[in-house]
Amino acid sequence: MSAVSLTNKQFQELLRGQKPVLLDFWAPWCGYCRRIAPAYDRIAQQYGEDIVVAKVNIDEEPELANAEKIEVIPTLVFYKGGKAVDSLVAPEAQAAIARFIQKNL
Amino acid sequence: MKQSVYDMVIIGGGPGGYTTALYAARAGLQVLVLEKLSAGGQMALTQQIDNYPGFPEGIDGYALSENMQAQAERFGAQTAYVQVQRVDLQAQPKVIETDDSVFYGKTVVLATGANPKELGVPMEKELVNRGVAYCAACDGMFYKGKTVVVVGGGNSAVADALLLSRIAEKVILVHRRDTLRATKVYHEPLQKAQNVEFRWNSVVTQLLHGKKLTGVVLKNVATGEESRLDCDGVFISVGRRPATQLFKGQVELDEGGYIVAGENTQTGIAGVYAVGDVRTKHLRQVVTAVADGAIAASVAEEYLANG
Repeated sequence: MSAVSLTNKQFQELLRGQKPVLLDFWAPWCGYCRRIAPAYDRIAQQYGEDIVVAKVNIDEEPELANAEKIEVIPTLVFYKGGKAVDSLVAPEAQAAIARFIQKNL
Repeated sequence: MKQSVYDMVIIGGGPGGYTTALYAARAGLQVLVLEKLSAGGQMALTQQIDNYPGFPEGIDGYALSENMQAQAERFGAQTAYVQVQRVDLQAQPKVIETDDSVFYGKTVVLATGANPKELGVPMEKELVNRGVAYCAACDGMFYKGKTVVVVGGGNSAVADALLLSRIAEKVILVHRRDTLRATKVYHEPLQKAQNVEFRWNSVVTQLLHGKKLTGVVLKNVATGEESRLDCDGVFISVGRRPATQLFKGQVELDEGGYIVAGENTQTGIAGVYAVGDVRTKHLRQVVTAVADGAIAASVAEEYLANG
């Protein structure tokens, strides 16, 4: 299963759920976002049981990106108990995303 | 857990790495590519590659990366997405460790590439993503309608300035010499761009900032005069640094940190080869990286046959 693409509304609903949510804020014109995409999909396969692994296209959901104060992409944000607890900008490796998740689980 | 020993372990899945994998796999070797993120390296960040032969309209670097990986894998090369933490290149077989796994190779190919070099001014690290950037293709869109400075005078600096001139309100190219080092083909479009200015013989000595970058201080290296320049972003394009930290003390590096290896890609250690941008060479391009790959596979094949 690859990372699911979310709208603001879907995100707000997911936030109320039990599972922590990992969001990747990205855009199609961002080269590095494309580079991490295959790694992010593998992360979704690996951790999909424990957390929701999803992504948000900031061009399509500018309000959400603004509300979450996203200033640079790709930014990964970890949400737990309905709020943002940690973020990671432009991870250098798939292993760095895994470490970020494990730290916040 | 005891793992099998590969004929060849390749560290880095860029054009050099996957071409080595393609040739080695086709020669019947058991090949494993270790890639920390996704195929392509720097190439995957280049939207349009116009100097790789065979694509008259140019090709997207990301697509080319995926193609090179798929081609190598079609002949049996494997990929593991791991971040290498330690290597022992003298051991027999050679040992490559990540945080939670160990790989063994009869031969090892070092294909870790290079990354953008920092300017080395105070606050640079802290201001990354708050006005300091290294990749115009990645972060350029954040500076739509704004004023940006590009530092450097080589091909990538000029390409960055051109790209940004189509997005930003104003682009100021700062270069420490009085002429560009970039290939001539880049000069004309840049001179023609209405919103590009040049500051020759100048270096950035300070980054001015509040929460974000607000400007830079330039020093004219000819006169020593300092001046202030307001801007929203600084794109640093002053060259690359090879990713050779992992190999320090094991293979010989030159003063720039590149692995010393000739056209045959051989390092000082038998069975260890360096391909692509990470190697000492005259020209760092996709086309020279893939050439290295073909050679490394052939040299390694001979080494294995005689071992």
